[in-house]
Amino acid sequence: MTDIQTGNGLAAAEKLYTQYGSRARELKASGKKVIGYLSALGPVEIMTAAGVLPIRLKGNVSEAISKGDAYMETIVCPFVRNVFDAAVKGKYDFLDGIVMPHQCDSIDRTNETWSYTLNLPFWHFLNMPHAADDPSIAFTKEILRLLVKSLEKYTGNKITDEAIAKAVAAHNQNRKVMRDLYDLRKSNPPLISGVEMMKVCVAAMSLPVEESSALIESVIKEVKGRTPAAGDAKAKRIMIIGDQIDDVAVIEAIESTGAYLVMDDLSTGSKMYWQDVDATPDPLQGIAERYLRKLKIPTTFIGSAPTYEGILEERYGHMKNYVKDFKVDGAILFIYKYCDPYGFEVPAIKSYVEAAGAPVLYLEDEYSTSSLARVKTRIEAFLEMIA
Amino acid sequence: MAEEKKGRAVATSAAASVPKFVRGNMQATLRAKEEGKKVAAAYIADGQDEIFRAMDIVPAWGESFSGVCAAKRDAEKYLQKAESDNFSRSLCTYATCEIGFDMMREELGGAMPEGAPWGGIARPDMMIGNGQLLCDPRFKWPQATQHYQRDVPVFVNNMYYPPWDPNGDHHEVEALYVKYCTEELRELVKFCEKICGKKMDWDRLAATVELSDKTWDLFIDTYALRKHIPTPMDTGDAMNTMVPLTFNLATQEAYDFYVALKAEIEQKIADGFAVANPEKYRVIWAAGLPSWFALGDFQYFNSKGVVFPVEVTYRGCEKIELLDLPKTNDPLEHIAWRWVRYWTHWYDAAKKRPGSTPKVERIIEYIEDYKCDGVVFHSAFSCRSWHAGIMQQAATLKKVYKDIPILIMEGDIVDISSYNEADTHNRIDAFIETLAAYKTRQG
Repeated sequence: MTDIQTGNGLAAAEKLYTQYGSRARELKASGKKVIGYLSALGPVEIMTAAGVLPIRLKGNVSEAISKGDAYMETIVCPFVRNVFDAAVKGKYDFLDGIVMPHQCDSIDRTNETWSYTLNLPFWHFLNMPHAADDPSIAFTKEILRLLVKSLEKYTGNKITDEAIAKAVAAHNQNRKVMRDLYDLRKSNPPLISGVEMMKVCVAAMSLPVEESSALIESVIKEVKGRTPAAGDAKAKRIMIIGDQIDDVAVIEAIESTGAYLVMDDLSTGSKMYWQDVDATPDPLQGIAERYLRKLKIPTTFIGSAPTYEGILEERYGHMKNYVKDFKVDGAILFIYKYCDPYGFEVPAIKSYVEAAGAPVLYLEDEYSTSSLARVKTRIEAFLEMIA
Repeated sequence: MAEEKKGRAVATSAAASVPKFVRGNMQATLRAKEEGKKVAAAYIADGQDEIFRAMDIVPAWGESFSGVCAAKRDAEKYLQKAESDNFSRSLCTYATCEIGFDMMREELGGAMPEGAPWGGIARPDMMIGNGQLLCDPRFKWPQATQHYQRDVPVFVNNMYYPPWDPNGDHHEVEALYVKYCTEELRELVKFCEKICGKKMDWDRLAATVELSDKTWDLFIDTYALRKHIPTPMDTGDAMNTMVPLTFNLATQEAYDFYVALKAEIEQKIADGFAVANPEKYRVIWAAGLPSWFALGDFQYFNSKGVVFPVEVTYRGCEKIELLDLPKTNDPLEHIAWRWVRYWTHWYDAAKKRPGSTPKVERIIEYIEDYKCDGVVFHSAFSCRSWHAGIMQQAATLKKVYKDIPILIMEGDIVDISSYNEADTHNRIDAFIETLAAYKTRQG
């Protein structure tokens, strides 16, 4: 972490991004247990409280799936397939286990494929509900409690409420500093590019929470030193919407046209950082509420408002705020093929965000750079259209 | 309209009567308004049937509508309509077909689109989705189609069961899941009461639950007759005869249907009837929804002496006594126990066989009970719910059981664009050769 200590946060992020998992590998070598998790539903607070390192799993868009297809159907989400392929190839050989949150069918229906193929010492399927009513909150607290017990059994260490509360505070602080960094994208031109931001977000999800916060703070300090920002103040300001985009390929395709990626609604980006866990007497209550009600992902059904317009506000109101606060000129809705949860939202998201003032380009694609040229052409055409 | 293919000839007269059942269900939605009943867009195997029936709510089954469109090879116009508003072809085609139909109906101000199969289905008064350990479309579909029917309220409840964990004991968490399911069903009742403007008749609900239990038992007893060699009914028919259980559970009509089917099968056995004569190979339909536009493929199997005496698909019930349900006076809690135990009652068997899984144990149980020589899966490209994980099941089956011939067919449930009859039949022929070699090896 020398780069962070010397104020070169962006260089540190670059290294952690290109050598994803390198810090986890170091910590594993020093005796710490490392637990991977998929999706924004991974309750990092509990894993941190357990004394293990939680690391968000990602794939590699530049690498073709070559081994995973021997075990998993090609109709599964291409992101899930790619991460699984990486795991089968041994890219995550430092993992002691995985917490597999029930986000979608592609995860739920392949859980046994993952667990039986990888055969890791620790495996926990976290059965997160799709509903967010009061019984679902109570149920979520109970399944979080099961995760606590499961981790206690595996690590041999008691996870106290105090430890969870402390981890909640640390992760809330992490979210706060990341929001502070996002604020630096509001200026025109933004102080940090979309490509740099993606690298920071990816790096951040591979570190112990305190190191993650230190990295982000270091980047903030470094980026603030850029004032006044250079660049074209007339360039279009773009927001990207989707689930786990964890590579700069698409971002580079956007920014190579001269546009700025100034905001995202991604599960590796703002979705992770915009909502804190409330400090509650039972810390699992706040965690349950945060992951089930505050985290806006399409696999959690939201629809309590009395009108459809009200429901859209519940589901997408935050995106309207992003369009306004980050002065977004256009949005790219980037959805992976075979993704039912996001795919069924496309007409609603598109019309909502367009009504908020940002034209939307919808792209359905693979988790792969193989189709990048086509994607780039579509983006260029879109930017010409909104110019 | 696309060319309508002649459907599969069925072996039982009960199966032949099923289209009337399906048409009747669709027409019931159209009559509901005149009868002062509410219509709910609903999705099968959600554990909600008794609540609908006890409150006189008429279910408009999305999967049934799309299945009919597919069987009539008339889904393309609806798929294209949905695609025109950016619903991808890779999404569940049951959903996109029906959403496309909803879009057309809304553009007509609620009037029925011309040429809607069997008169179409009615605009719902409510849409009832469900979160499960399978099938995201069961809650994304109503949410998506609400975009075009904005005044129709959507309710989604969650019905989970303990996930399989070879290192855990699901019995320890059963009560937690039952409590949650019961509470979620109670939320559904509250929602239905609000929309219908009347209270639940709890005695009537209890009676419908009892009727469902009887129907589950009768269904299993009836299907067990297919163990007979040669089998008197195979999966080609079962893809029809599942309709009353799947779409009409908790009605007297469904129960009566299986009374008649059981009597018919018993008579066929007495008469020496065989689906295939000679019956050379018995195989299990181990997972996957069928291509509704290609049910004739079952006949192709039959013509080669291959029969399916059993299938996992649409066998959504079990003998109640096998589930050992705790006694309760709360019909919702009974539904919840039945739901949880139905999904988990293969767990104990799986724990006894290292490396196995409940899904594989279920297949093994059926292979042995129905004396099967091979296994067929169908992988539908637009459906992750039933079709992701099939490769794992196939590999595990071979590893923990025996090197039994397995065929994984590929296609879709509704979208005919990827289907090639000649290729499919070639793969079936190759599989039959494997079966022949296997049986020779087995002596």
